[in-house]
Amino acid sequence: MFRSRSWFGGGWGRPKNPHSLEHLKYLYNVLSRNQTVSEHNRGLLVETLRSIAEILIWGDQNDSSVFDFFLEKNMLSFFLRIMRQRSGGSSFVCVQLLQTLNILFENIRNETSLYYLLSNNHVNSIIVHKFDFSDEEVMAYYISFLKTLSLKLNAHTIHFFYNEHTNDFPLYTEAIKFFNHPESMVRIAVRTLTLNVYKVEDTSMLAFIRDRTAAPYFSNIVWFIGKHIQELDNCVRNDADHQSQNRLSDLVAEHLDHLHYLNDILCLNITDLNQVLTDHLLHKLLIPLYIFSLTKRTTPLGDVASANMNRLLQNRALSLENSWSPHHENYINGGKVSCVVALFLLSQVFLIVYHAPLVQTLAWIILKTDKTSYEGGVDKLLEQYSTEMKKQKQRIEESVDSDTSTQSSSKEGSHENLLEEQRNVTDEEKQRLATSPSESVVGIEKPFLETIFNSLDCTENDYTTLFSLCLFYAVANNKGIRSDIIEQILKPKKTLVSKSTNDKDIKYSYNMQLVDKILHVVMLSCQPTCRVRLVTLELALKLLVQLVMCDGKCILLDSHKLTIEAAKSQSTALLRNFYKSEEIFLDMFEHEYCDMQKGLLNVEWLCMDSAVLLPPTGTPMTGIDFTKRLPCGEVERARRAIRVFFLVRDVVLTLNGEIETQLPLTNPQSCVQIDQALDLSISRYNSDLIGCTVIYKDGTKMRRFLVIDILQLILVEPDTKRLGWGVAKLVGFLQDIEVSGDKDDSRCLHITIHRPLSGTTTNRIPLLSAKFVFDDNIRCMAAKQRLTKGRIKARQKKMQHIARLLEIPGQSGPPSPAFMGASGGGYTSRQMGRNRERPLFNRCPGLAAPRRESSPSVVHRADAEARRSRNTAESPSRVSKLRNEASPRTNKEDRSRDSSSSSKTRSRDSSPRMPRPRSEEIPLELIKKAPNSVIDMAPKISILPRPQTPKIECEQSQLEKSGASRDKDSGVSLISDISEETSFIADEGDSAMIAKSFVETI
Amino acid sequence: MSYAYLFKYIIIGDTGVGKSCLLLQFTDKRFQPVHDLTIGVEFGARMITIDSKQIKLQIWDTAGQEAFRSITRSYYRGAAGALLVYDITRRETFNHLTTWLDDARQHSNSNMVIMLIGNKSDLESRREVKKEEGEAFAREHGLVFMETSAKTAANVEEAFINTAKEIYEKIQEGVFDINNEANGIKIGPQHSPTNPSLPGATGSSGSQGGGCC
Repeated sequence: MFRSRSWFGGGWGRPKNPHSLEHLKYLYNVLSRNQTVSEHNRGLLVETLRSIAEILIWGDQNDSSVFDFFLEKNMLSFFLRIMRQRSGGSSFVCVQLLQTLNILFENIRNETSLYYLLSNNHVNSIIVHKFDFSDEEVMAYYISFLKTLSLKLNAHTIHFFYNEHTNDFPLYTEAIKFFNHPESMVRIAVRTLTLNVYKVEDTSMLAFIRDRTAAPYFSNIVWFIGKHIQELDNCVRNDADHQSQNRLSDLVAEHLDHLHYLNDILCLNITDLNQVLTDHLLHKLLIPLYIFSLTKRTTPLGDVASANMNRLLQNRALSLENSWSPHHENYINGGKVSCVVALFLLSQVFLIVYHAPLVQTLAWIILKTDKTSYEGGVDKLLEQYSTEMKKQKQRIEESVDSDTSTQSSSKEGSHENLLEEQRNVTDEEKQRLATSPSESVVGIEKPFLETIFNSLDCTENDYTTLFSLCLFYAVANNKGIRSDIIEQILKPKKTLVSKSTNDKDIKYSYNMQLVDKILHVVMLSCQPTCRVRLVTLELALKLLVQLVMCDGKCILLDSHKLTIEAAKSQSTALLRNFYKSEEIFLDMFEHEYCDMQKGLLNVEWLCMDSAVLLPPTGTPMTGIDFTKRLPCGEVERARRAIRVFFLVRDVVLTLNGEIETQLPLTNPQSCVQIDQALDLSISRYNSDLIGCTVIYKDGTKMRRFLVIDILQLILVEPDTKRLGWGVAKLVGFLQDIEVSGDKDDSRCLHITIHRPLSGTTTNRIPLLSAKFVFDDNIRCMAAKQRLTKGRIKARQKKMQHIARLLEIPGQSGPPSPAFMGASGGGYTSRQMGRNRERPLFNRCPGLAAPRRESSPSVVHRADAEARRSRNTAESPSRVSKLRNEASPRTNKEDRSRDSSSSSKTRSRDSSPRMPRPRSEEIPLELIKKAPNSVIDMAPKISILPRPQTPKIECEQSQLEKSGASRDKDSGVSLISDISEETSFIADEGDSAMIAKSFVETI
Repeated sequence: MSYAYLFKYIIIGDTGVGKSCLLLQFTDKRFQPVHDLTIGVEFGARMITIDSKQIKLQIWDTAGQEAFRSITRSYYRGAAGALLVYDITRRETFNHLTTWLDDARQHSNSNMVIMLIGNKSDLESRREVKKEEGEAFAREHGLVFMETSAKTAANVEEAFINTAKEIYEKIQEGVFDINNEANGIKIGPQHSPTNPSLPGATGSSGSQGGGCC
């Protein structure tokens, strides 16, 4: 493209200053001598055209005589002449020509210059010129040129493009010919241009658009969307294996583009245009294709719709492309898309489009259509709607009553049923009761609503449930829909009950049937083996809150309240099953909470995700977000249980008008922040103040004091202003630290503080990883103990907190009588095992299945942890026992207990499985954050694959064993001695004494 | 002119940061503004060579279309690369980067290569945003960073070409689905396999169909 100036350019006395009138004159000469484009002069011409653009812009800003000359010589006509030549590689020249025009129109600031350029209709001649559009470069430059022009449109300039007398608007009519161009950028440019045109407030131009182009243009858009949707539907139907996710996501994104475009037009609020567009959308797309696809029945729809289509086709003022017409019939006869796709697309419509006349009609048809008008087809439906609306206008008061009378009577019917029988019925029965009386009403009279209702059922899976919920949510939250249409169905209804006296009561009512259905979804979600995705549950709960919260109050009936409370205890029970002493459980718990707080459900974004259009899957290999698929493996089932717990808990709190006080586990307000000044003389910090030098990896050294708080490790620097105060320079959570000694230097510790896991930041670089040098090895040891102990205690504290949340006994209130008997000293591991099992089964019937599913060792861990935590609350002696159990010294003892109780578990399950981690469980072990060194010191019961160990029932023999092993492994005993000591420091005197005596017995 | 691949770029950033000037500077080097003249353009195309392959870059400026949500959405989706531009002499243009980036990430396909450009590096005396800040922002968000001047043409070539190189690498790694026009990548006419059965609007050599006139 960058040819040097040709032989021709040299000797013509080219002026030295390229920005001058003289130079333009020179260029004019070149143009007039090279009016025929040929192989030889095209380089020169391109160069000339470039220069012209530059000079004109310069002239526009500096010297008006430049423009005068340009106009006087009618240089635009040269442009036309050049582009009209078909020979000599003219596309090469044409591209430059179009670019020159682009530059001209883009950069001219002087309005008069612009008017001059536009004045002699040359621009319109250029617009209608038939370029070689098969050349993609020409196409791109041409469409950019049109788009650039459209950006210059306003009430004044419009008259240069739209000719009122000849009724001609080439800029617009030429552009819309490319609205379905295969090149996406071209299509976008066309859309931009149309929007820029509609934006101009010029009545006669808009009248032209409406009368002469709107019908064909819109009907073509509508037809292409329809065709597109069939394609999308095919893609969904033929891709149960998630093979063509890319293609599907493109199709979905494309549909969204269409909707946004239509919405952008509607938002311009051009009444006439909107009417035509709405009409087209309703008659030819949204009702016949989207809404009618909701029902499976065959109807006379096809004929009616295609008749409709033909009628509309005949009405076309001008046909943009003849070849389209035959397809119209095909697509409409081809009929419908699948119900899933229809629900999904309708949700998108309601989430994006707010144009009242459109969404109102749609909502009314979906929610209120009865069978008779349904059989009549699209026209009948719309007719019915308009008469209904007229009626309503005439007698607003009355019509509201009559409109909802059938509705409310049916509701009340089911309502009464419920209230009568709720006492002793199961959920399933309740469900049946709630649906059966209304089924007859809704089933016959409201075919569309019925489908959506039936889709809510997720007994098998939640594939369609999710979309029904989306649609209900979208309709309920669309601001273009008047509340009287959705009241009672999707929003609480308020009625003023006027009594005989003057006082009026507000009576609230809500859609019992829908709430029943939603609660059923929620209940199912809390079952261990259910096939409801998290996203479905979250949306169901979100919708539920909207359905039953009115004026800040919860109007839920008692029967439903009981159900949601039941769901809460169910979800708690479900999570209790996963509760265990594993390090990872706490990390997971906090991580999930953090993740959920960040990623609150956005329904609009959900409906942009094509992944949900395919049947729900469990495998993470598809790359589908965790909440949008079923859990895979033990870890994900635990994560799911945690989330279900959070979600249900949150809704129950909301419904009760309560505020969350228990979560997150770490209250950020109680944490020390960086640069916060601390009074180190108070006992909270004073006791644990150790001076040290921190040496970072890069060699930087810093003198700091190490403070160990309840949850945090704080590095402080003495405050220069106040004696006894310190400024926090670094804070980290004790639960995330990792401490190891230095084998060469007994005064050194290597400390790593990991960042808390969080979903959004993938930053896994530790908060701090440095060497700490203490004054002597005693201080170093002390620091190590305190840190290790601090880590353990911080984690224990949080685990107890979780246990309280999960209502695991022993955490709050007195222990249940079942445990009292066992609290006398010296019970065997077998007893403990038994005691442990009993409450778990008592509390949550129906949970036997998941327990059996999880491997015995997992169950055992939960047992062990709960046993320990229960002990804490029971008696001081239990506490001391706990301490001992927790310390590594008794590791062996624990191990042997493990094996004994797990072998028992095995026998209970009467399964031949070895109590060895199964493949499913392996991730739990692998994901462990902390390396072995730390885990060894943590109060964790590790499982050794020693299934052969015989049951050891006598505690004494265990103790002997552990004592023996201690002798063998002196390294371990050293550490355990230390940590034992630390526990004394922290404990109250008496328990410490008991613990000591216990140790001595060993 | 034939090419192996065609990459579509978009340029985003606040108004007045010099997007269209960068574009013109890259596609039409003649406009070296020795004289005090700022000229920009909204579209441009140019051929470059990477790995001895001819690659055509098509660059679309999206200025002035922010009012319409449908338009910005579609632009993002149709591009393989984006230049996110701010003006080093105006702090606020730097502050708005997060918004732009969020938008881009939300609407574009996840493979889109985004390059951060601090423009007007010739105006050192009026600098408000340090180079290090740009580098830090780019590092934090995983972008490639470069300071350019549309006026002196410094780094302009590199900005566009480096972006192209990264896209090219992604193609080699198989990250991009090159048969999908929606990604903003097109295979050149001689490279594309003949597949007339491709349905709908995704014809890979679409220009053959003629522009419906």
